[in-house]
Amino acid sequence: MRSRFDNQLAELNRELIEMGAMCEESISMALKALMDGDKALAKKVAGLDVAIDQKERSIESMCLKLLLQQQPVARDLRQISAALKMITDMERIGDQAEDIAEIITYLSDRSAANEQLMREMANAAIKMVTDSVDAYVKHDTIMAEKVIAADDVVDAYFDRVKRQLIERIAADPADGEYALDLLMIAKYFERIADHAVNIAEWVIFSVTGVHKED
Amino acid sequence: MTKRIFRAIMLVAGIILLASLLIIMDCLYEYFASLQESELKDQLSLAAAGVEQGGEDYLARVKSKRYRLTWIAPDGTVKYDSGSDKSTLDNHAEREEVRQALEAGEGQSTRYSATLMQKTMYYAKRLDDGSVIRISVSRATIATLALGMLRPVVIIVLAALVLAIVMANRLAQRIVAPLNALDLDHPLDNDAYEEIAPLLSRINRQHTQIDAQMRALDKKKDEFNAITRSMNEGLVLLDEKGSIISMNPAARQLFNAEENCAGHDFITVDRNPKLSEAIRAAYDGGRGETTIDRGGKVYQLDVSRIESDGKTAGAVILGFDITEKQNADAMRREFTANVSHELKTPLQGIIGSAELIENGMVKAEDMPRFVGHIRQEAQRLVTLIGDIIRLSQLDEGCDMPTECVDLKAVAAEAANDLRTEAEERHIGVEVRGESVCITGVRRLLYEIIYNLCDNAVKYNRAGGSVSITVGEKDGLATVTVADTGIGIPEEHQARVFERFYRVDKSHSKESGGTGLGLSIVKHAVMYHHGSIRLESVPNGGTTVTVTLPA
Repeated sequence: MRSRFDNQLAELNRELIEMGAMCEESISMALKALMDGDKALAKKVAGLDVAIDQKERSIESMCLKLLLQQQPVARDLRQISAALKMITDMERIGDQAEDIAEIITYLSDRSAANEQLMREMANAAIKMVTDSVDAYVKHDTIMAEKVIAADDVVDAYFDRVKRQLIERIAADPADGEYALDLLMIAKYFERIADHAVNIAEWVIFSVTGVHKED
Repeated sequence: MTKRIFRAIMLVAGIILLASLLIIMDCLYEYFASLQESELKDQLSLAAAGVEQGGEDYLARVKSKRYRLTWIAPDGTVKYDSGSDKSTLDNHAEREEVRQALEAGEGQSTRYSATLMQKTMYYAKRLDDGSVIRISVSRATIATLALGMLRPVVIIVLAALVLAIVMANRLAQRIVAPLNALDLDHPLDNDAYEEIAPLLSRINRQHTQIDAQMRALDKKKDEFNAITRSMNEGLVLLDEKGSIISMNPAARQLFNAEENCAGHDFITVDRNPKLSEAIRAAYDGGRGETTIDRGGKVYQLDVSRIESDGKTAGAVILGFDITEKQNADAMRREFTANVSHELKTPLQGIIGSAELIENGMVKAEDMPRFVGHIRQEAQRLVTLIGDIIRLSQLDEGCDMPTECVDLKAVAAEAANDLRTEAEERHIGVEVRGESVCITGVRRLLYEIIYNLCDNAVKYNRAGGSVSITVGEKDGLATVTVADTGIGIPEEHQARVFERFYRVDKSHSKESGGTGLGLSIVKHAVMYHHGSIRLESVPNGGTTVTVTLPA
């Protein structure tokens, strides 16, 4: 009985890591599409979001089944409840990657290759997502703490990008729409970083039993 | 163990107790019976004598609790009975002992009471007057005796029980203690019961077998580790659930995994979706493959399912570094494109000129220029094809006749052949150094120096100079070609030896080269197992040093 439960937990773990990998891939693809002005790639991100949503539902039903059938306690219970919370954040990351991809399709083939600040910000956000999934994989609370700390870096990047775009609108009001689109994209990356922080907090909860916000 | 010993003790104790009880009771019973019988007979004789003298008065006088005396008339009626009122008793003539006494003078019989718990013995004797005096006594049967002994027997059994438990425990401990103290690592060195010697020798045999098998296993494992450790390819073994069994150093480097990753799910080491997909494909369909980029390198990963007895036993992931192969593929594609381009350009020129002449659009005085153009382009084509043929010969590495070649003489020859071109551009070419002889292919060595000089002249500025220095250092021949030309920018330096690679991408015909010169040089030097060093400063000149073993 116990070994079957262990197998199910391992399966849950595997599925969760896979879902994390899918999120990483989708935001990396969104960034690449943005930088290359590649609309075809942007459309692929939407397809990946559908797959992420399906994964969320399958993990969710797996968690509920485990909770009902095995009635886990202590650490197992924490792992499953943390998984339930994490997939919500991962699913939101997938959605935001899709939102970015959608904006790219409106950008009329303009590539953002010269937006160095935006690229740095996006890379910082992607690294946070990668690190939060790594922290989950390795049950590494120190790494999770680093992810939480890195959020300030991304927030600072967002402020800089915002100021840069304000200057640009002031200089060239005709190109305002493009600047606003970029601002939206920057905001989505900032939100992705926030979700990475949430994931990191749930990683800490699943290991130590203490949630940051408590 | 204790239980068995206890049971054995109890069985033995029980049997002995029962047997002794039976024997003792039997013997005693017989003894007492005979004692009682003789006593009874004595009493009967006494009573008979007493009755004959004193009649009923005697009987009345004899008040005995132990015996019952009965006086029976010859017709069987009871004249006196010490136990009960004579009127209640019936005729005794038919009683066994009385009948015997009436007939033979004496009689006896034994009767059990209704409950069988008592046995009554009767002795009878006929008196002189024909009446019969009878004496009887009741005695306990064996059953009653046994019943009486029940309490002491139970006490003995209980005592035996307690004793048996204690003994069994101690015995078991004493038997087992030396067994527990056995040194099973060296079974034959033990000084225990000789009864277990066969067991010990069997253990010894198995020890030897196990040792041999362990050694064989260790050897296999070492072999496996040695092979996988020195492999350049990454090798990962997964079990049937996808957990890592082993990972060789190359794979650990590839996936950036930790030393102790064995036992973990592979996805915790690498969660690349493409690889996850390939692994799933392998578990489902037997094979999966993908390519991933890691640290600037491209790896091809082949995943195969391992089956044993028709069941999935695991999977093996094999990772190859295909960066070079991919680069080579890219180079080959580029080469093909370059060759086609280089071959097509002169032909287009020829066709163009020929078409103009054909359509009569060339004036008579221009004719020599057009024909000359056709000839030049054809010449260029021939040179190009010649270069390609030479390169492919070098590629195939076919053996060419070697001889002793004086490099300085070859350098002078090359410089002489380039004199016209050099003079046209006012470039001075000088050959310096000493004569160095090496064993090599004269044509190739000429090709090396000629091509280097050719480039030095072509990519020089007007009025510049080229110097060829031949020398010997540490047993190696060196040829240095230095110019004062336009130089090669740093980012191109590594690639100028590639076929058709041009620093100037426009493939301009201005310089007239085929783009194969340095490539031929490189291959020719490689053919002689030498090496090339290139130093160049943009707009400052280029120095190429070729080192050849003597």
